[in-house]
Amino acid sequence: MSAHDISEAISMIRESAAGIAVRHDLGRIRKLRYSVPGFDRTTWRNMCEMGWLALSLPEEKGGVGLGMTASCALMEELGRALVPEPVIGATLAIQTLGDDQLPDVLSGEKMILPAWQTTRSGMSTSDPIPVENGTVNGVMRYVPMAAGADAFVVATANGWGLVDAHSPTLALDVAQTQDGGHYGTLTFSGTPVSIVSDTALAGPVAQATLATAAYLLGVIDEAIERTLDYLRTRVQFGKPIGSFQSLQHRMVDLSLEAALTRASVADAARIWDGSPGSSKAYAAVSRAKARASTTAMLVTRQAIQMHGGIGYTDEHDIGLYLRKAMVMAPAYGDAALHRKRFAQYMPDHAEAAA
Amino acid sequence: MSIERYQLDDFNALGDPEFRLLVRYFLREHHPVDIINPPKRLHWDEAEPWYMTLAEAGWLAPAWPREHGGMGLSAAKQLIYMDEFERFGAARTPDHGIMLLGPLLIRYGSEAQRAHFLPRILSGEHIWCQGYSEPNAGSDLASLRTEAVLDGDEWVVNGQKIWTTLAGDADWIFMLVRTDKSGKKQEGISFLLVPMDAPGVTVRPIDNLDLQDEFSEVFFDDVRVPKDNLVGEVNKGWTMAKALLGFERIFLGSPRQAAHALSRLRLLAGHVGMLDDPCFFDRYTQLRLDLADHEALFEESADRLRRGETLGADVSFLKLNQTSLFQRITELMLEIAGEDGGLLEPIEGNRDLNPMGLFLTARAATIYGGASEVQRNIIAKAVLELP
Repeated sequence: MSAHDISEAISMIRESAAGIAVRHDLGRIRKLRYSVPGFDRTTWRNMCEMGWLALSLPEEKGGVGLGMTASCALMEELGRALVPEPVIGATLAIQTLGDDQLPDVLSGEKMILPAWQTTRSGMSTSDPIPVENGTVNGVMRYVPMAAGADAFVVATANGWGLVDAHSPTLALDVAQTQDGGHYGTLTFSGTPVSIVSDTALAGPVAQATLATAAYLLGVIDEAIERTLDYLRTRVQFGKPIGSFQSLQHRMVDLSLEAALTRASVADAARIWDGSPGSSKAYAAVSRAKARASTTAMLVTRQAIQMHGGIGYTDEHDIGLYLRKAMVMAPAYGDAALHRKRFAQYMPDHAEAAA
Repeated sequence: MSIERYQLDDFNALGDPEFRLLVRYFLREHHPVDIINPPKRLHWDEAEPWYMTLAEAGWLAPAWPREHGGMGLSAAKQLIYMDEFERFGAARTPDHGIMLLGPLLIRYGSEAQRAHFLPRILSGEHIWCQGYSEPNAGSDLASLRTEAVLDGDEWVVNGQKIWTTLAGDADWIFMLVRTDKSGKKQEGISFLLVPMDAPGVTVRPIDNLDLQDEFSEVFFDDVRVPKDNLVGEVNKGWTMAKALLGFERIFLGSPRQAAHALSRLRLLAGHVGMLDDPCFFDRYTQLRLDLADHEALFEESADRLRRGETLGADVSFLKLNQTSLFQRITELMLEIAGEDGGLLEPIEGNRDLNPMGLFLTARAATIYGGASEVQRNIIAKAVLELP
């Protein structure tokens, strides 16, 4: 595909997203939050029909073959509208599946979510659980939206293993999250598993990390836009508060951080698409996630402050952006973890030689 | 290669990589070794050999059109030219005539002004300085009060300019003067050319925080210059000067200054044995990330230029970010230097271990070319559309 075709495809993706990810009306988001499973299967099927899960999957596997630049554009739109459907997790899962599971998953008929984290901040310490006689024993944590899955694809010592969500030997504990979703803790006790692939964990997780950074970029941009609107219209001391220099300068600094995040995410997507799985690409992904996590927290905190009292109410939508940032900033590794990973993947001397 | 080999008819006909190599070779072969990465702004006597080499090669004025003796580079080629010069650590010459006056004369000057002044800039006969700021007209430049009154065929100039870089080295000054006090302050300003040896011009150097005398005050006491030394129309000086703030503003946001500082931070950290300190390492890594993200942001704007687009007010983001990053790097340098960070001279006499000099230099970056606070005012109105 030429650069022109890709940018055309990206505009189409953004436009198609607007139909589902309605950023000016968060009514659906409010209705779903703190419910189980916290998202809507009809919407999910619509998303699948639009090919969202298959964007970066190769064409021969039934995907669109567009790469991370396109995925990031989509994730940004979803972030702007705080979409709760687990697109990031499901996209990670399909990369681990065999060809025979794909059609049902890509159509939205069946939802398979990945379970690979055994600990908090799992990226660097994840250890797969052993398989004995076709069954697994152990615990997997921090599975977003687990209560909505039909099956899980689990990181085992023998590769990725498929587990039925309704298996009687699988216990699911649900802990709700600030944004209205939840994390599932899966406890396997002799639970039957069928191995579906030996795909390495690192690549798909890095792509999910970058997708999360792009989602956060959407959160950041929308929180800034909403705050700017508020500053233009809220009148105190006889004038719009956006005419006060202290608030103007703060907004400029936040917008600068947002611009850096945008550049960082775009750069990482370009580098990943150019040389997927290279050290350079892993470093760029960590750089983007570190920036996005920090900026999302900074921007949404300041957004609350600049909204004043109304920003502290649950009724006002700006708070939903802070809650989303609280959940997504640490997901797939927080800023400190990714700074460390950046330094590992891109040691100082490598840069000096470049 | 001899210098004639670098005199091409059409640089834009070269591919970007070829042009980049050409610039690289040129610098390697012809840039004087003793003034690479100078720790301060060079005076004319130090920069003259390099200026004359550039003049001889026809490489002095990358942005000027060919017909006026410039290189006639496209925006994309200018980016490469600047990038290679900065990477190499090429010394900046007294270049106000080339960077600012030349483009203004080309666009607004009379035929006679162009014919007289442009060749003399290119030959090094005229070195120019810029007379904009005044003691009471800094960020609020349009409130300037240095006055020019027409008396017969001459303008009579009275007043004072300040922060005039390398005024003592200059043969001429181009300046903004008040020619009308009645209307809006921006609409009574004209653009005037004054020889520095005219009777009534006095230069008083000012030492900066780094104890360098690169800028001066310039006093004008009944200085008389011919009527024809005014450029463009009377009272249109502000508009002309502003119109020239084109895409060159991107260069104030170039990542190279911060990149150079970061390389010196690394050197210093090695020298003081801090590289394995986890606290230092995390902060150092953060600065590396900041630089990489700034480079990505800079490249976005550069890409827009390469596609032939124009840059909006958001180019101010680059200056704002680059200068604050440059400062953060030098602040960490000073911190890890410990007591040595209070020394007046470079550590162990090593020019590359001079956190104090870089720290002090960096103080200026958020002030010149539009202070950070002014940049924020511009962005708030023009980009964020705040009231």
